[in-house]
Amino acid sequence: MTQKALTKGNNRPLRDSRSWYARLPAYVYMLLCVLVALFPLVWVILSSLKTNAQILSSAVSLPTDINFDGYRMALQVSPILRYFFNSVIITLLSTFVNVFLVSMAAYVFSRTRFRGKGLLFSILALSMVVPVTALMQPVYQVITSLGLSDSLPGLILVYVALNMPLTLLIMRATFAGLPASLEEAAYIDGAGFMYTYLRVMLPVAKGGLASAAVMAFLNSWNEFTFALVLTKSPAVRTLPLSLSYFTSQFSFNYTALFAAITMAVIPSILVFALFQEQVSQSLVIGAVKG
Amino acid sequence: MKKVLSLLLTAVMLLAAVPALAEITLDYPTFQVGVNTAAPVIAQLVEEFNAQHAGQIAIKVEEIPGDANYIEKIKVLLASNDLPPVIYGAGYNLLDLALAKELLVDLTEYVDTDPEWKALYNDKAFEVNSRDGKVYGSSSEGNTIGYFYNKELFEKAGLAGPAKTWEEFFAQLDTLKAAGITPVSMDTADSAWVTSLWMGAMIATSGEEGKAFMAQMMPDNYNTPEVIAALTNIQKMFMEYTTLDAVGGKYENAANAFLSGQTAMIANGPWMIGDFSDTTKAPEGFSDKVGVAIYPEGFAYDEPIQGYLVTKQDDPAVVEAAVEMVKFFTGAHAQTVALEKQGMLPASTAVEITQAAKDNFPLLAEFVEALEGARIRTATTQATMYPNLLDIMSAELPNLANGSMTPEQFAQALTDGAAKNK
Repeated sequence: MTQKALTKGNNRPLRDSRSWYARLPAYVYMLLCVLVALFPLVWVILSSLKTNAQILSSAVSLPTDINFDGYRMALQVSPILRYFFNSVIITLLSTFVNVFLVSMAAYVFSRTRFRGKGLLFSILALSMVVPVTALMQPVYQVITSLGLSDSLPGLILVYVALNMPLTLLIMRATFAGLPASLEEAAYIDGAGFMYTYLRVMLPVAKGGLASAAVMAFLNSWNEFTFALVLTKSPAVRTLPLSLSYFTSQFSFNYTALFAAITMAVIPSILVFALFQEQVSQSLVIGAVKG
Repeated sequence: MKKVLSLLLTAVMLLAAVPALAEITLDYPTFQVGVNTAAPVIAQLVEEFNAQHAGQIAIKVEEIPGDANYIEKIKVLLASNDLPPVIYGAGYNLLDLALAKELLVDLTEYVDTDPEWKALYNDKAFEVNSRDGKVYGSSSEGNTIGYFYNKELFEKAGLAGPAKTWEEFFAQLDTLKAAGITPVSMDTADSAWVTSLWMGAMIATSGEEGKAFMAQMMPDNYNTPEVIAALTNIQKMFMEYTTLDAVGGKYENAANAFLSGQTAMIANGPWMIGDFSDTTKAPEGFSDKVGVAIYPEGFAYDEPIQGYLVTKQDDPAVVEAAVEMVKFFTGAHAQTVALEKQGMLPASTAVEITQAAKDNFPLLAEFVEALEGARIRTATTQATMYPNLLDIMSAELPNLANGSMTPEQFAQALTDGAAKNK
């Protein structure tokens, strides 16, 4: 129903027909949601400006004075910048490879019929529910035997694989939602399978591609356990590991930790802010199509 | 032609000899990085070792920030039979885990043939690093632990000094509480380090049986009168004498309560001394207010931490290099470096407490003096219990603390947990 239809028979637009106090509960509710969402981020940023004693004594108090010592200490104690750039490279490459390769498989799953298709898809999709701890040792063995331990390709390969089930689900649902007439028209015009996929179907599936890419990016950016086990040298270590430099069994520096977290989460937040529509879509896309 | 052939042959022989002369690289994963108090010690030792063995052996440090992350990675490497040449057992009993998979090098012969190295082992160091008469590890840290108290708060409550008996100790808790001071820092999370120190001290000083319990490696039965009595006291301390955030709190919370002058006592080792003068953690001048003591009834934790272990490798030269590294990292010089830089008391009684250490950590000198009065000395409960019991401690202590679990039930939970290791 359009805005025009809603306002038919009434000279004023619909939004003006409701007084501000009628809309107040909605605004209050939205404000609460915003506060709940922003609180952890604001809390971390404010904590990065407090001393350890202030953080532990009064977690929700405001900093008594603004100083950026935490950021200086964070950069001194851990190789956070180096790990940051490693994370950027690993995350971008693994996301690109994951989305590019898995979307091809998803296209085949959504458009073709072959024996064992359902079983194969179920196996691929079910791998999403295998716990990380169960994967740890087999993955370590495979990556080591391939000679990819402590290397960027090794970690990229693992992240491509870890994100495969989710990307597959998103992209299969995306392709399933596209009209078959697009391909039929391409085939009638003489296009082959690959040309149809790359030049016709992939461009119109860019919404799903963006959703899958955002999810893969966030998962890879935040991944900790495989980065810990599969890497040794600072040249390939990623950002989440840098956050462990600030707490040990008998020592802690929460100011530096929160400063490091602030620096670490900014890229994730930027990605989410830029692609929030695709992220929201990716969370529901599989629920309505399939 | 002959000349050319002989030159070629010489070149081939020289090239073949190169691997034998090549520098051996020892990958060394360590959690002693970042804010870990031992980080400067390890950095110095690695630098010195590499300088001394330039061209022969080079230690390549793999930084694994966070103790739990280190254990997680070592367990994966252990399961994959891919351990690095040297691992540090620390307080996590990696010796038994690695030995169960027959991945450790027997160091007995190396130690026996090196009188200088052997002299650094005392009976306790042999005990903690040996199994079935074979030496598998070498210690560097003494793990000598008492407790710290706030002299200003003690004075405010009218207390003269540390308690000599548990009866006096609990009377002091009442006195402090009556003066409006929270008497003691405690915790339940992350294996409840601070709380378990009080608990172990009570068990060890409860009589011969308690002392024998504390001397056991991997006790199976916690249903003993000594353990239950200690747990009863711990429950009382949680209910009456500690901070609200102790239940569910981590070591950091307990430490902060003491460092901010909120509580009058905390059980911990000398590595905490540096925090007292760290103005990001404690107020200016706080270090002057802190005193150190051994536990009531003349007790102190005093047993070397399980040390460095050498693992089996395909190349015997790597094993020899790893032994060389362990010898250096646990030698008298290394223990002195840790003493002077970290305030860590040495594993060996043969290592002198230097003036530099006393100057750097005045409280350490006070503690060493107090230690002379320690009649009973054991390892910590955490060093001897099955590793899975650390999780049970964290999970069940809040229930004991709030009274929803009795000391008997808690002891049973630990016993049940221990039984899972059989």
